[in-house]
Parts: sequence; C-alpha cells; structure tokens
Amino acid sequence: MTPLYTKTLLPPKDEFLLNRTPRFLLVVNIFISIFYFIVIAFWFKISNPYLFGVLIVGQIFFTWQGLMYIHTIWNTSYMPESDPRFAEPVDIYITVAGEPAEIVEETLQAALDMEYPNFRVFILNDGFVAKKSNWQDMEMLARQYGATCITRRTPGGAKAGNINNALRETKAPFVVIFDADHIPHRDFLKKTMCYFADKKVAFVQSPQYYKNFSVNEVTGGSWEQQELFFGAILKGKNRLNAVTMCGTNMAIRRAPLEAVGGMCDTNIAEDFVTGLMIHQNGWKSVYVPEVLAEGLAPEDFLSYYKQQLRWARGSLEVLFKYNPIFKRGLTWGQKMQYLASASYYLTGLFVIVNAIVPLVFFFTGAVPFVVSTMALAIIFLPYMFLTLYIVQLSTNFTYTFRALAFSMSSWPIHLLALYQLLTFQKSGFAITSKRAVSGNFVRFAIPHIIYFTIGIIGVIFALHRDGLTASVATNSSWIILNSMIFIPFIRAAMPQRENYPVESPLVTAPNI
Amino acid sequence: MEIRSAYQRYSTLILSGLIVFVILLSLFVFSHQSLRLDESQSLWQTSHTPTKILNIIAQDVHVPFYHFILHFWQLFLGNSVLTGRILSLIFFILSIPAIYFLGKRTFSPSIGILGATLLAVSPFMNWYGNEIRMYSLMTLLTILSQYFFTMIFKTHDRDAWVGYFIVNVFGIFTHYFFFFVLVVQAIFYLMYRRLFPAKALRRFIIIAVVLFLIFTPWLLYVHSLGSASNETPQLAAPNSINIFNTFSQFLFGFQNDHLNTILVSLWPLTVLLGFLALRENKKVSPEAVYMLLSILVPVAAAFVVSITLVPLFVSRYLILTIPSVYLFIGWILSTYPEALRKILTALLVFSMLAGLAVEAYSPSAPVKEDYRDAAAYLEQNAAPQDVIILSAPFTVYPVEYYYRGPAEIETLPLWNRYVTGPIPGFDETKLPDEVATLKGSHEKAYVLLSYDQGYEEKIRIYMDTHFERIDMKTFSPGLTLYTYRLRYDPYVLSGKTATSTKK
Repeated sequence: MTPLYTKTLLPPKDEFLLNRTPRFLLVVNIFISIFYFIVIAFWFKISNPYLFGVLIVGQIFFTWQGLMYIHTIWNTSYMPESDPRFAEPVDIYITVAGEPAEIVEETLQAALDMEYPNFRVFILNDGFVAKKSNWQDMEMLARQYGATCITRRTPGGAKAGNINNALRETKAPFVVIFDADHIPHRDFLKKTMCYFADKKVAFVQSPQYYKNFSVNEVTGGSWEQQELFFGAILKGKNRLNAVTMCGTNMAIRRAPLEAVGGMCDTNIAEDFVTGLMIHQNGWKSVYVPEVLAEGLAPEDFLSYYKQQLRWARGSLEVLFKYNPIFKRGLTWGQKMQYLASASYYLTGLFVIVNAIVPLVFFFTGAVPFVVSTMALAIIFLPYMFLTLYIVQLSTNFTYTFRALAFSMSSWPIHLLALYQLLTFQKSGFAITSKRAVSGNFVRFAIPHIIYFTIGIIGVIFALHRDGLTASVATNSSWIILNSMIFIPFIRAAMPQRENYPVESPLVTAPNI
Repeated sequence: MEIRSAYQRYSTLILSGLIVFVILLSLFVFSHQSLRLDESQSLWQTSHTPTKILNIIAQDVHVPFYHFILHFWQLFLGNSVLTGRILSLIFFILSIPAIYFLGKRTFSPSIGILGATLLAVSPFMNWYGNEIRMYSLMTLLTILSQYFFTMIFKTHDRDAWVGYFIVNVFGIFTHYFFFFVLVVQAIFYLMYRRLFPAKALRRFIIIAVVLFLIFTPWLLYVHSLGSASNETPQLAAPNSINIFNTFSQFLFGFQNDHLNTILVSLWPLTVLLGFLALRENKKVSPEAVYMLLSILVPVAAAFVVSITLVPLFVSRYLILTIPSVYLFIGWILSTYPEALRKILTALLVFSMLAGLAVEAYSPSAPVKEDYRDAAAYLEQNAAPQDVIILSAPFTVYPVEYYYRGPAEIETLPLWNRYVTGPIPGFDETKLPDEVATLKGSHEKAYVLLSYDQGYEEKIRIYMDTHFERIDMKTFSPGLTLYTYRLRYDPYVLSGKTATSTKK
C-alpha cells in the first residue's frame, strides 16, 4: 500500500532533549542562590524601605523559581517502564477551528499513516460553531481520506468543548489529540501508547515541536522558549509524576479523562487544568522526550502575543482559582511543580519592578540599600553566571539570548493578564493563527520603548543632579542591560522581512 | 574557513605590526619615564654577585630566576635603566606571538590574533613590559606553559611534555604565583581526564615530584634566612573593589580614582555580555573552561589568602591571568553574531588604546613614580646644610639612583643600610627623638613622602606641628615633598640661605 503521507520531513532539531547537568553544580547553585538572598535581605543596610521591600519580594520569587528549577532538573533521565506489545484501540482527534484545509490535510494524511494496529482518525471540526467559512471543507477532506469528521453544532467550551463533544461520540479507551497543524510521525503511537501498559498512567505527552522555527524572529523566539520547557523541565517533571498536559501531541486514557468531566472548559488553559485534576485523582503521567510530531509556531507577532496572553491568563487563573497548594490528592512535589509552572507568568511583574528601581534612583535618588556597588557585584555576578551556565547545561546549550529576551520582555503581557484576571474580565479562547498575519505590531512594544525613553531622560537627569558618580554609572548600566534585552522583542514586533506567505488576520486583535 | 585562512595568511604581518607598535610605544613613551621604586630595587639587587643576589632575593618576596637573567644581561650590556627595561620589553614582545599560537591552538587563529592584539595594546602589559621587573617574563612563561599543556591534551604530542617541564621549572623560579598556573592545570586535568593521553597522570606526577625536589632547597634556604621585614611595601588586605580594579587595570590600565570608579561601576554590562553569549549550540568548550579557571582560581585564591592569612593581592602578581583574560574575551566575542562581534571588538580595542594613552600621558596616573623629577628638584634646591628625609625608608633606592646633590640623605624611621638586618619599624614614641637626631644643625628638611606604610600622615603632622612648613610639591600621585625650616638663627633670617646663595 502506498503511504498517504510522503512528504519528507527534515530531521527535527532535538538537541534540546539531550541535556545533562552535574549535580555538584546544582548544589553549588543552591548555596549561592540562598547566600545571595541572605546577603541582600539581611546584610545590606536598608536605605529606602519601600524599594527594599519590593526588591526582596521579587528576589524571593526569583530564588524560589530558581530552586524549583533545580528541583525539577535534578534528575532528567527517569523514564517509566513501557510495553511495546500494548495495542489497545485508539481514537485520533485532530482539532480544527477554521485552519486552512491544506494544513489539516497534511496532519490528516500523517495521522492515517501512523504505524499502529488499531486506531481511527477523527477531524474534530469546530469551524461551524466558530463561524469559519471553510468548515465544510473539513467534511470533504474526511470523506476524501476515509476518516470521520465530527462537526459540532452546539457552541461552548472552545477547544475543550470540541474534544468533550468528540468523547461522547467515540468509544475507544484511549484518545490521541493533535492540533490541526501538528503532523505526527509514523511512530507516534508506537512510542507513546506503550506506556499505558501501566494501568495507572492517564496521559502521555510528547514535545510540541515547531518545525517553522527558522522562519522569522517570532517563530525563532517562540521555539527557543519552548526548548527549555519541553527539554529540561518536562523531562524533570517525569520523575515527579507532574508532567504538564499540553493539549496536543498527547495520548490520554479515556477513563480518567471522563472521571474529571472531560477537558476542563472553564479555563482557557484547559489542558493544564485537566492534567492537574487527573493528577489529583492519583493517576500517573509520562513525558516522552522525543520529537514525535511537528507543528507550527505563531509566525506573526500578533499571534504570538495572543498565544502568550492566553497562556498567561490561563496559568494565572490556575494560581488564583485552582491553586494547586490547596488541592487534595496531589503530592507536595506535584503541588510545587504546578505552582512553579503557573506562577511563571508572574515573572513579568518582578522583571518590571527590578527594571524600575534604577529609574526611581535617577529621579529621586532613592536606593533600596546602602552598599558599595562592588560589594553587590561580587555576590550578584557568581549567582547570575552560575545560574546562566546551569540553564545552558540543562538545555544542552539550546537556550538563547532571544529566548531570554522574549521571556523577560513579556512583562506587559503578564501584567495585562494579571490585570484582566484581577478585574474579572472575561477571557476568550483564540486559536493561534497558522498563517503569518502581516502588519506592524510595534504597538505591543510601546511599553518597552517608553521604558527606554524614560531611561535616557533619567540618566540625563541624574547626571545633572549628581554628576558622573558610581551610582549613576551602575544604574545607567542596568538601563542599558534592560533596554538591550528588550530589543529582540521590539524587533520582532516590527514588520518582518521574511519571504513567507502572509495573509490578512484570521482573527481580530484583542482589545489591549 | 576563508576567514580562518585569511587570519593565518596575514598573521605574520599583523603580529609584526603589533610588535612594531609596542617597540615604538616603548621608545617614545615608556622608556622616558622615571625609574620606579621596584625597578630601583631590581637594579640594586642584581648589582651584587650571584651568591649575594640569592641571599637578597631569599629575604625578599620573590624567586631569583629573573634576577639572574637581569644580572648577566647587565654584565654584558650595562646597568642603565634603559637596558634593564629592554630586557622586560623583549619578554613582552615574545609574548605577542606566543599568545597568538596559544589562542590559535586553543580556539582559532582569529581568537589568537585578537588575543595578541589585546596584549599589544594592553595598558597594563605595556606598563610592565617596560618595567625592570619579572612580570613580562612571568607572562611569557605562563603563556608557554599553557601552550604546552594545551598541546598535551589536544594533540597528545609527546614532545610537549619536555617543553612543559622546562617552562615550568623556569616559571616556578620566576614568581611564587606561577604555582597557580600549575594548580589550575591540575584542576583542569581532574575535570577533563578523558581528554588526556593514557599515561598523562603518571607524567604529571613525575613532573610535580621533580619540580618539588628542585624547589625545596630554595624554600629551605628562604626559611633559614627568614624574611627581611619592612624591605618592601606593606600590602593592605583587599576587598571586593580590588578584584574589580584588577580586571579594570587589565583592560584599561592605571587610571585615576574617579575614572577607575566609573569603569568598575559599569559591571552590570558584564551580565549583558553573558546574556549575549547565549547562542544556540555555542557550547562552553573545555578550552574555554580552562581559560576561565586560569582567571578565577588565581584571583580567588589570592583574595582568600589575602583576607585570611597574609595580604598578597596585587594586580601585577596576577598578571599570569592576563593571557587567559584576553583569550577568554576573544572566545566570548566569537560566540556573538558577526556584526555585534566586530562592533564590540572595535570598541574594546579602542577603549584599551584610550586607556593606554591616558596612562602614558596623564600625570595623575596612579602608578607613576616621578623620583627623577623629585631628585632633580632636590639637587637644585637642597644645600649641604640641609637634610633630605625619605619615608618609607626603602624609597632611598630610586632617589639615590638619580640624586647627585650635596645634601645628606636620611630616612624615617632611621635606617643604617650598612648594618645587616631589617629596616626598623615605625614607632611613634621614637619619632621626636628620631626627628631631633635628623634635625641636628641642619637648616632645612626636605621630607619626601611616598609609598605610605601607614605612618606617613603621622610624620607629616608631627613635622607640621613642630616646624614651619615653607613649601610643598607633588611630583606624582603619592609622591610629595614637604620642605620645613629647622633653624631660625640670624644667618638664616637674613635671607642668605644656602639655597638663595646657590641661586
């Protein structure tokens, strides 16, 4: 039989999965992190108590995040046992909500071509409820390839609602979910289903690989951020039975999923919450550190921004509404892991607080503590460089300046998500565009440009007031450092120059 | 590959240009500077017989290899300041191709060229490459030791062991800090044993034992003599600022306090440089780790020893880290995108050249010691009935080198150099007696204070409160001459002083 899916894929870039971190370095980093915190919290003489307070709260957050990262990557080689003979029936769900037919077709072909004895493929067509003009194309596509199309007629619950609808119409004890653009490798089922031989395993997750990582700044930055999560972090969560459910490229046992009422449709990070609830019921999770499907990163800044906002909003909602600390059934390891993952989106709050401290000095002369700038340097630099080196080792040198810059520059997104949450604004599930949306999105970088401008004014102001002193020099350096970190983000927001097809926005820009 | 071959093709030309630059700089700038305290000590120490040199150096804080070379060098070429400095310059010049070959072997020809460039334009290296001390020799031997060590683990070349052994024998007799080079190599071996040939451990142990056996007699000899106290400047215990100052000096040379403070206050930019080095698959190679260890271990060890045992944290002692600093910078820059790399490289070289110019021409450069001008002034003004008082006592060496005037030269505390034994320590209770002794029947006292040993201000205040200060003149940072009137008899008050008569 001729394979349906014959397109040759380039070997995936999977260096991010080959990580190792010597434990003695991790131990040294723990000591240095704690030492750094103790010194700045208790040793230095406090100058302005308010600045000192916010700086210390920020440092508590960063220290905790750092220690949690070390806890996560302490052992990244753990893999549960598997049985390659496992061959229970599987229903494959390809979730679609108006994506271009040719993209879905590729995924469908590849899904049908997977090597496994017992599976059916379903297109979960949400185009009708999402009022997409091409919703009927999916039904034609399914007929063309002998797959089944489940077109939902009753809206609600976005992607989660779509999956839950399909759960009611299908029967296999296992389901596998792919986003419309995530093309599975032929061996996807062979390499994931074997872990269900352990009857306590509820879901198996594989990396969300972006094959278009080299297209432009946005796809590059998106993928490089993903490498950290799908490399060291999820490999480490394997050991702690705290693998994050990511909503695509995953296999789920029907029973535990139905036991929690299907995919959670009350949170826009439906996969994250569903995984948490399944863990609460004592089920196990597995992460397979191998690229088994290849998808598309957002190719334009608008899509990236909306994706990040959705993730931030969903995760912060978990923090405030489903706080894992208070959830019964989770081990302390799982609680900490979920808390660390969800609270990542508070990073922006503390990034901007730290970035504002030099500005406060420029305009008011206030500083958090009275200390020689060199004394601060002597404890900060080892802490910072060792942490960076450990991140590099643990990601097999795939973590980049651009990834760091995108993460640290996302503070307006994190703040917006926090604001929306605290003001009870309704959140909507917007599908990440699979095609580049043309345009100039520099408006999303206005906060960064304002920061840079105030920084320059502040330097001039402080020079006029104090002259060129050590404090002015050091604080100016912080402004330069922060501004340089924001540059890749600003550049990505500007019109892209790649030779890649673009079309008009599929979705309207969020009101921000 | 093309870039690589281009660097190799033009390496001779570039290295020659760098050497010419260094020679011209020496000829037109550094050779005209006054003899400094350390240099005068080198000249004095090496003016003796070889056995006496051993004896003197054993009581000093150094080891004798450089002093023997300088001794015989002077025997053949004369003992002028210029010939002494030329010897150091030769070691400095040889270091330029040496660091190129080290960088080429360790990383790439382009990093080798950059390392050589930074070395040649380095204000710090140009300073010590023109000073009659062992520091440029120490730099050269460090580079050679690192070169042979790198050969051992990169090419497994058996001949490298011979070079490695010979260089290290000379190295340990050039400066005590050279042992840090060996310590770093031992640490690196323990971390990366897999890179070394099978019998490396046995050979390293044999070399270590032989070096120990060769060095032990010297240690026993030093121990038997005991150190001569107060012969050399006392060092203060360092703090965090000293560490940053050291790196600032390595890059931008000796600048005045304000400029130096601003330079080291820019330290957050190093975090940015670290962030920028986060590039996909740009791994930290073992060679980069070796260079990093070669920087951090000596600095950290010197700092810890200085704050716990005895102060010995001096940037010039840590000159052995300079080749690694420059090559590590070259490696970091090589990880950046090309445009950024070119901009930052140009900025760095330009900044170092600017630092070099300021160091060379600014009279406020903190390491300048203008004993020549001070001696000329004394020669012009001090009469036979006056007395010249020097403190700290060991500054008598550079002053005597230049001074040919008629006035008597004394020191505070009083020190009879012709009696064997250490320089007497300062005792505030004895100060009035000592000053009274020096006063004798002299008319004026020219008190030249430099190399503050912690009592300079006490001497100045005592003199200010007991005598009339009639003049003050600063020749270079930390080198100040105070003139006091000691007598008020009619002859002096009539204005017919020896000085005025002389004029």
